[in-house]
Amino acid sequence: METLDYDVAIVGTGLAGLRTAIEVLRRDKGRLGLRVAVISKLYLMRSHSVSAEGGTSAVLYPEEGDSFELMAWDTIKGSDFLADQDAVWRFVHIATQEIRLIERWGVPWNRRADGRIEQRWFGGLSFPRATYAQDKTGFFEMRALYDTLLKYENWDRFDENFVTSIVIENNEFKGFTAIDLKTGNFRYFRAKAGVIATGGAGQLYRITSMAASSTGDGYGLAYNAGLPLKDMEFVQFHPTGLVPRGILITEAARGEGAYLINKDGERFMKKYAPSKMELAPRDIVSRAIMKEIMEGRGIYDDNSGLYHVWLDMRHLGKEKIEERLPFIREIGLKYLGIDIVDQPLPIRPTVHYNMGGIHVDIDGKVLNANGSPVKGLWAAGEAACVSIHGSNRLGSNGTNECLVYGYIVGNDVYNYIEKERPALPNPSQNILLAEEDRIFGKILGKESGGEDVYQIKDELKDTMEKYVHVYRTGSDLEKAVIKIKELKERYKYIKLSDKSRIFNYNLEHALELGFMLDIAEVIARGALLRTESRGAHARLDYPNRDDANWLKHTIALKGAEGPLFSYIPVKITMWKPVARVY
Amino acid sequence: MKVRIRRFDGQKAWWQDYEVDAKPSDTVLDILNRIREKHDHTLAFRQSCQMGSCGSCGMVINGLPALACQTRISELKTESIRLEPLYNYKVIKDLVVDLTDFVNKHRSVKPWMIRKNPQELEEAPMEFKVTPDQNLTFVQFDYCIMCGLCLAACPTVAIDPLFLGPQALAQAYRYIADPRDEGFEERIEILDDSHGVWRCHFAGACSYVCPKGVDPAKAIQYLKKEVLKYRLLHKKKASVKPAELIQKPPPANAPKPPPFDFKIEGGE
Amino acid sequence: MEKEKEEKRYKSGLLRSLRPYKFNLERYTYTLHRITGVILILYLIAHVFEIYHLALGPVAWQQTMALLSSLGIWEKIGLWIIAGSALYHGANGLRLILNEAFGMLLGKPVLPEYPYTPTSLSRNQKIAIYTIVVIVVALWIWAGIYLLWGLGII
Ligand SMILES: Cc1cc2nc3c(=O)[nH]c(=O)nc-3n(C[C@H](O)[C@H](O)[C@H](O)COP(=O)(O)OP(=O)(O)OC[C@H]3O[C@@H](n4cnc5c(N)ncnc54)[C@H](O)[C@@H]3O)c2cc1C
Ligand code: HEM
Ligand code: SF4
Ligand code: FES
Repeated sequence: METLDYDVAIVGTGLAGLRTAIEVLRRDKGRLGLRVAVISKLYLMRSHSVSAEGGTSAVLYPEEGDSFELMAWDTIKGSDFLADQDAVWRFVHIATQEIRLIERWGVPWNRRADGRIEQRWFGGLSFPRATYAQDKTGFFEMRALYDTLLKYENWDRFDENFVTSIVIENNEFKGFTAIDLKTGNFRYFRAKAGVIATGGAGQLYRITSMAASSTGDGYGLAYNAGLPLKDMEFVQFHPTGLVPRGILITEAARGEGAYLINKDGERFMKKYAPSKMELAPRDIVSRAIMKEIMEGRGIYDDNSGLYHVWLDMRHLGKEKIEERLPFIREIGLKYLGIDIVDQPLPIRPTVHYNMGGIHVDIDGKVLNANGSPVKGLWAAGEAACVSIHGSNRLGSNGTNECLVYGYIVGNDVYNYIEKERPALPNPSQNILLAEEDRIFGKILGKESGGEDVYQIKDELKDTMEKYVHVYRTGSDLEKAVIKIKELKERYKYIKLSDKSRIFNYNLEHALELGFMLDIAEVIARGALLRTESRGAHARLDYPNRDDANWLKHTIALKGAEGPLFSYIPVKITMWKPVARVY
Repeated sequence: MKVRIRRFDGQKAWWQDYEVDAKPSDTVLDILNRIREKHDHTLAFRQSCQMGSCGSCGMVINGLPALACQTRISELKTESIRLEPLYNYKVIKDLVVDLTDFVNKHRSVKPWMIRKNPQELEEAPMEFKVTPDQNLTFVQFDYCIMCGLCLAACPTVAIDPLFLGPQALAQAYRYIADPRDEGFEERIEILDDSHGVWRCHFAGACSYVCPKGVDPAKAIQYLKKEVLKYRLLHKKKASVKPAELIQKPPPANAPKPPPFDFKIEGGE
Repeated sequence: MEKEKEEKRYKSGLLRSLRPYKFNLERYTYTLHRITGVILILYLIAHVFEIYHLALGPVAWQQTMALLSSLGIWEKIGLWIIAGSALYHGANGLRLILNEAFGMLLGKPVLPEYPYTPTSLSRNQKIAIYTIVVIVVALWIWAGIYLLWGLGII
């Protein structure tokens, strides 16, 4: 075992992780000489954030009619009033500064003719405030942040290091354990402060817009360290995923004016959201599409055996498509041979985002089961749940959350170290040895058992796809819970075929699967308990929002027999919940 | 479909054949995943986004460097597929190569925004004024996903391991051509080197294989021109029009959402 | 041992560098430019050596000339290859100078558009290359005829 000492260890290098690292180094400027470890299971610049397409919301030009109040209201209404309003209020203010800051670091925002930044419409917004760089917004943001990070000296990169556990003792963070995939060595990152920015868990589903690496490890790490997860049952389905695999067709397509059309050639959104039409929030559009398909107005695709509807962009014209949606055109041509200039795309809802996550406070500090902060541990980005998105995230509010919380957490980490001057922690060796033995002895070294990692993963995906989808019912969710339980039991008997040390992806996938099973259980059980429909959580057997009983966050803790649930109130400081119509 | 893969386990190397069923619409990455999940768990290859934007899955497909997730079987027009790790890199295992040199070369050209007044990078009351046309001078080179295919295709990288390579050079030009950047002179010192721009002899293979249309060869030739101009004509500036900073306008009254039900706390 | 061999196989090498198979036309011109450049250097060395005999006096010069003519037709073939090399290297070199020093034939920076045909390898470049090939081949044939004429074959 190799021990590496750092002041700050950051796991995950999506927008959130990179922004945090930059903020710590930027604040420091060599003053305390903080050493930062930046850890990712991929190469740093390959994080899933590169796939974000459409835009990043912020109030840039209040003189033109936008305002912080309006953005906060949109976000809160979009969240179906489950968002913590104090956090939203803070978030909308910092977003503006972040857009301009990363502009200075190189993001090529699309511009107006007079040289100022252009913005566009997105679902659920009352003002076109999605700031964009073509339809590769997240990609350009990642590039600018990665490039800017390279400028600083006082950090080390740990590409392809898979973090396996968080070391916590006496409510104090003591580091991360990891496998260096390149050599297969076990590593202990000893750090005074830790940040988890590991992104979402889209791989729980088969049809997903999320990367193969989005397996929700951060949730699993926290959950297994005895930390609570919040609101995990809210999984966002993006309405327009390309059939068959679910590659994302950005909401910006609809922002620019694309139509959704069913089998009969009808713009069916007029039935579901007469005023916003295609630009209603994602949960509403996803449900509308699923409803059309369920009621037999979907189109059948022979190749994949899936039903879909059409996304029609033909009326936008070639010029506009090339200027603003070139990547969508490329995706259509590349994966289906369809040119959106003269043909519509087959789409259906695809898994996109986890509203829930690690339970953190308004500063991004990770909270323990009693609701008080764990000393020295933060979480940011999709891995954390503040909660800004409540039960449904608005399109273009994900990337800016990563930026804003990268900024907040970076500052908070720096302040913590500056003020408290913590010493390097000294955990008991037993914890580390037990973890090493769990991985290399119990999982890699095991010779008995015959279960196959990939088989279990397949069945898990099928289960989630079938029973825990856009529309949920009590009986479906019960089936899912039973199936997941069975898979968890079988997981104990997995045996790996690859016994080598270097780049043992088999081992990595096995560890990921362990996390995925835990998260799936939390999602399914949490959804079963929540007997209402709110935002992305739509129960056919409880079709209405129930503020009297369910205006509260779900908190899940690991227990001996699966997750234990409790609930905490939503912070409502500005607007009382009202009916949500668009 | 027959798939032949160059395997390497750290000690020995061999060709291995697999027989997989495939649909024409499958990508090479789909096939690889199928092999790993159904046939041989030990096969190592990288992947992440599966939509051609993260740069993980570069490999040599039928003799040409390409992204696996973006190559459809039907495009290959062959009966069988031959997969090898990227050329010109050290192989670690199977299709996984060592990119350490690659990322270090990239870093060595200072690929970040440089301003004479560094404070301008620390706080941003307003943005730079950049017109859509000015954006065009560098956005093409910002498309780079750092997949490293261009270095695998480059005949010069093959004989000079110290050559900065198309990716790093194109990135240097991306910043030099950016009207917001002022690091021209600093970078020229690094680029004007026998392992820098002058090692490039314009084989164009980098542009040919680049999966994102970055056209690194174009960037490098433009760089040479800039270096020559700087050295011979003593021009201290890149030939792009610098962008100016926009001033913050006075605040105005905006329409309001429903009035607050509560007093706001925690705002700033 | 095996490990080193594998590393070498994938790392680099002159062979990989000179093998444009599967790649673009410009990579073929690159290989050819290199090879012709080397031929020209070899010729230059040989030529300097030849001229050097002139300084050693008429006898030495006569001997060198005799040696050369004893090569018979091979001398002419050698000269023909050198002429071809010089023609191609010079013409292609001019194209490269336009590209590299003046940034010509490359196209302006654009918004890449799928399927991404790089402008630096596009129409202008190809026209330049084909023009060079046509001119060089024509002149080379003419040089061949001229050499054969000198031999009195034609
Ligand atoms: C297709 C798509 C399009 C989107 N478009 C938009 C949009 O237009 N606008 C918008 O606002 N939002 C959008 N989003 C949402 C937004 O992109 C994400 O919420 C955001 O990128 C998440 O960033 P992150 O930093 O939290 O995590 P990620 O970018 O997912 O990064 C996770 C990081 O954690 C690392 N990691 C994970 N597990 C481990 C482990 N065990 N050990 C070590 N490292 C680990 C990974 O390697 C990676 O570096 C989109 C999302 C998708 C899927
Ligand atoms: C008409 C006269 C010539 C012109 C215009 C010319 C042009 C060039 C150019 C532009 C290059 C650089 C190629 C690049 O950067 O890609 C080059 C390379 C080279 N030249 Fe010439 N050249 C000429 C004559 C010669 C002669 C007479 C010799 C032999 C002594 C020679 C030998 C070489 C060699 C060895 C190279 C290196 C090839 C490589 O690195 O690929 N050249 N030439
Ligand atoms: S320039 Fe193109 S080929 Fe080279 S690393 Fe960037 S995207 Fe890949
Ligand atoms: S998997 Fe991301 S580029 Fe292929």
